Amino acid sequence: MSRAVAIGVDVGSTTCKGVAIDADGAIVAHRVEPTHPRIEEQTTRVVAALEQELGTSGLPVGSTGYGRKRVARARALTEITCHARGAYKLVGTAGVLVDMGGQDTKVIRIGKGGDVADFAMNDKCAAGTGRFLEVILGRLQVRFEDVAALVKSATRAVPVSSTCTVFAESEVISLVAQGEPLEGIVRGLHQSLASRVAALAGRELDGEVLMSGGVALNAAMVDALASALRRPVRVLPTPQLVGAIGAALSVV
Amino acid sequence: MRHAYIAKQRDEHGRKAVAVLPVHYPKELFTALDLLAVEMWGPPGAPVSADAGRVQAYVCAVVRNALAFLASGRADACEAVLFPHTCDSIQGLATLVTDFGGWSKPSFVFQHPRGGPRPSSRAYYLSELGSLADGLAGLAGRPLEPEKLREAVRLHRRIDAARAALLDGRRRLALDDVELYRLLRRGEWLWPEDHLAELEAATARLGPSDVQRGAPVLITGYVPEPGTLFEVLCDAGAFVVADDYAAVGRRVVRPPAALDLADPFHALAELYWAAPPCPTRASDQVGRMRYLAELYRRSGAAGVIVHEQKFCEPELFDVAAVKKTFAGLGAKLLYLEGELETELSGQATTRLEAFVEMIAATARVA
Amino acid sequence: MSRSIGRRIEFEVAGRVVGPALAAFERAKKLARRRGPGRPGKKSSPFGPPLEATRKLKELMTTHYLAGRYADGAVPVAWVTSGFPVEILRPLGYHAVYPENHAALCSVQRVVPELSDAVEKEGYARDLCSYARTDLGSVLTGKTPVGRLPKPDLLCCCTNICQTVLYWYRALAAHFGVPLFVLDTPYVYGQAPGHHRTYVRAQLEELVGIAERVAGKRVEPDELEAVVRVARDGTRLWGECLAQSRARPAPWTGFDGFFHIAPIVTLRGTEACNAYYRMLRDELAHRVARGVGGIRDERHRLLWDNLPVWFDVRGMSTLLAERGFNFVCTSYTNAWAEAGSRIDPADPIGSAVLAYTHIILNQDLPNRLDILRRLSRDYSVDGAVLHSDRSCKPYSIGQIDLKQRLARELDIKVLVLEADHGDPRAYSVEQGEGRLTAFMESFA
Repeated sequence: MSRAVAIGVDVGSTTCKGVAIDADGAIVAHRVEPTHPRIEEQTTRVVAALEQELGTSGLPVGSTGYGRKRVARARALTEITCHARGAYKLVGTAGVLVDMGGQDTKVIRIGKGGDVADFAMNDKCAAGTGRFLEVILGRLQVRFEDVAALVKSATRAVPVSSTCTVFAESEVISLVAQGEPLEGIVRGLHQSLASRVAALAGRELDGEVLMSGGVALNAAMVDALASALRRPVRVLPTPQLVGAIGAALSVV
Repeated sequence: MRHAYIAKQRDEHGRKAVAVLPVHYPKELFTALDLLAVEMWGPPGAPVSADAGRVQAYVCAVVRNALAFLASGRADACEAVLFPHTCDSIQGLATLVTDFGGWSKPSFVFQHPRGGPRPSSRAYYLSELGSLADGLAGLAGRPLEPEKLREAVRLHRRIDAARAALLDGRRRLALDDVELYRLLRRGEWLWPEDHLAELEAATARLGPSDVQRGAPVLITGYVPEPGTLFEVLCDAGAFVVADDYAAVGRRVVRPPAALDLADPFHALAELYWAAPPCPTRASDQVGRMRYLAELYRRSGAAGVIVHEQKFCEPELFDVAAVKKTFAGLGAKLLYLEGELETELSGQATTRLEAFVEMIAATARVA
Repeated sequence: MSRSIGRRIEFEVAGRVVGPALAAFERAKKLARRRGPGRPGKKSSPFGPPLEATRKLKELMTTHYLAGRYADGAVPVAWVTSGFPVEILRPLGYHAVYPENHAALCSVQRVVPELSDAVEKEGYARDLCSYARTDLGSVLTGKTPVGRLPKPDLLCCCTNICQTVLYWYRALAAHFGVPLFVLDTPYVYGQAPGHHRTYVRAQLEELVGIAERVAGKRVEPDELEAVVRVARDGTRLWGECLAQSRARPAPWTGFDGFFHIAPIVTLRGTEACNAYYRMLRDELAHRVARGVGGIRDERHRLLWDNLPVWFDVRGMSTLLAERGFNFVCTSYTNAWAEAGSRIDPADPIGSAVLAYTHIILNQDLPNRLDILRRLSRDYSVDGAVLHSDRSCKPYSIGQIDLKQRLARELDIKVLVLEADHGDPRAYSVEQGEGRLTAFMESFA
């Protein structure tokens, strides 16, 4: 195993991610935990655990995510810059990165040198985020691990027109009451969310479309996004860790 | 602080205070009649009384908070309220709070023309000025003397000149954005002479060469709330090099070189048409985009921040054109929308910081 | 824009021959479908027999939009807000396009989300008026259910219905690069002061000059007088149609009125408009005489305030009709009958000042309350639904106070219903129906 040169910590709204990278930017160790309210304590522990695992100490730390400023001895950068850097490191070309996390959805245009050429984020309401899916799937008692298979099994999508989480929830409940098939409703939900993200992305998409963030682990969402954008979507390896990789790269 | 100031103005100078809603109004009339205009941009934060529930959730926070504030009695230090005809919501507020309860002292409306630069607009503006002057004179308990109005016009020209000097000389000004905006916005409620003294003291801090080192941004929008936005910008390494807020830059008139004061009402009309373009005054959109493009070029900004309040129709209708204009200039642009919060949300902070990281990186590449 | 004879012929043929023929064809198609098998539930319809006039209405509107496709290049084209004094444009031969009416049509056809998405991508917030988003979306994408809208030579916007139209038309002016005439009607608090009236009058005179220049001809006073007379008569006829619903049972529904309003909005000042309303009025009067109602079993009479929820008019009216509720009057349809009393052919400009300034939406809340009170009494309503329209702030601000006052003063039940006039994404049918149903249950 090659030698670690930096640690990156990404404190998101749902999970806290830590990675250690080597001089080539490859991951040599990582940890993912649910985010605790005491961010300082948790991130200090995560960094120490990574260092202990690697038998080293005093590595430079980069931090990102909404809790980035609460990470001891770290250089803080926003998740936008870090995701761009992390993604660029992984693919090596310009492109459009869609990062869908629990709280935010971001569309980041990565320039030729790996810089952020432009970005957009969902508005304050949770309509375009992972939370939207989480709330409604919870309501339908669909487990996350079953979503992809369920959506695949749907013969058609039942359109869900509301994009407001509250409205969509009541719409979905009434669709269920009307006897619409569950799998069709779930597929419709994915389409609704994907169209919201496509609107955020706008029309001009230069280069490959990449995807990161926890929602990228949901294959049904990746498919829905690809059809909404009318182009293939490539899910980055370790999509949850892209931000943390970028944070680590920023202190190398 | 404002309450103490208003009381002092009343006790020491006999000046009655008048609450004024956004945005444009002929402040010179107030000054000439010894009336203290105290502007109400909300105020920010949670509404202060249950009357906020008398308007629907899709009405902007400025109007909702103003309704709650007026109805709560917290503006009772003011003897009257003025509703400039800024948008449908303020227009609705003017009848809601005065006719259906919440404000029982005198109220005035000022409906500036929206018909564009036609002869009828000019004639009407003069008559509307006259009508407001009569109403205010009644409140002040004395007639408006032309010479006092001339003096007021001159005083406000000096204020505009000082504000223009600070904004235009931004790079050479040894104040950070937090300090600069605090200063400029005190003009919303200070007696104009007091405000001018503060402005002139600040112009002394304009140096011969640039002192601002961060990434320069142009900012446009309705009102710079929350003020913590400037702290975030400053910490992230940026500063405002050009301002087009309705509350700030769009109210700084750079008048024609020679302003004829023979008829001060005509001078006020002249100034109205010379003010920077603003959608709440129905300025032509193409002309406004030209103005913004020129402001961007002249200021040497490295990016543009569009900072609006949710549901603000006059502003929001121009956003697409603003985006298109700056995209055409190859300018990076950040869109931020708030609801008159007192603190910037975590997400908005992230956006601002990411934006500064982005433009700083590009500036280095360039 | 240069105008050609050939184009003029196309325009005339479309308007006089093809339009009516197309409408007849559509009707025939529909009839054929109707005769086919599988129309269950016809007998259980809660509505009265359909209005005969509806056929003519479809023909009139089909013809209007079809002719519109060929209007640019044939005649001068103006895009006009619903509250604009179109009478001044008619003698100059303008074809008037009503973007608001077009947007309502788009909403009924449920294409608003698609058109709106297009402008949201450009930076128009979803919080803006759905009419404006719809039309700007149509302009941007070229998509419209009416085939094609002619390009304007002149944009005409009157601030008497809202300031929104002002911002919206500014954007249109920037897009099309054609002149925008704003008729600015200062909001009326109490009574309009003299200098406001002087201002509106001066603008109307300026309008004549600008409209003449764009059209390349002059307004002849006698032609203007004739158009104004037709417009006044048309407005009165529309008022007579609405007034039929004072009868019990009302011969049609307030929601029918939302559709039959189209000619007085878009064809005001034309003989075709008046001929239509004469026919409609006579039919309604005949129904009243025979005791035929708009719904089969009218048990409760309601007032509706604000614009319709265009995309769900059918659903709402059925929900209500099934339980014996009818909207017998609406402040929205009434607005086009009110102004008529002030128009005077002997003084087209002077009377337009008053008529176009004193529109319900340009008046303060005490005036609004007066109108609602008067309608409630004239039409003997037991309740009112105030549509709190996310897309229309000027119409909606004050409704929460209006609700309390109406309920208290008139001792009627009042519901504030949150919805939107155009965008189905801003309205939850489930919640809306739930509220309406609960409201109706409270009458038991």
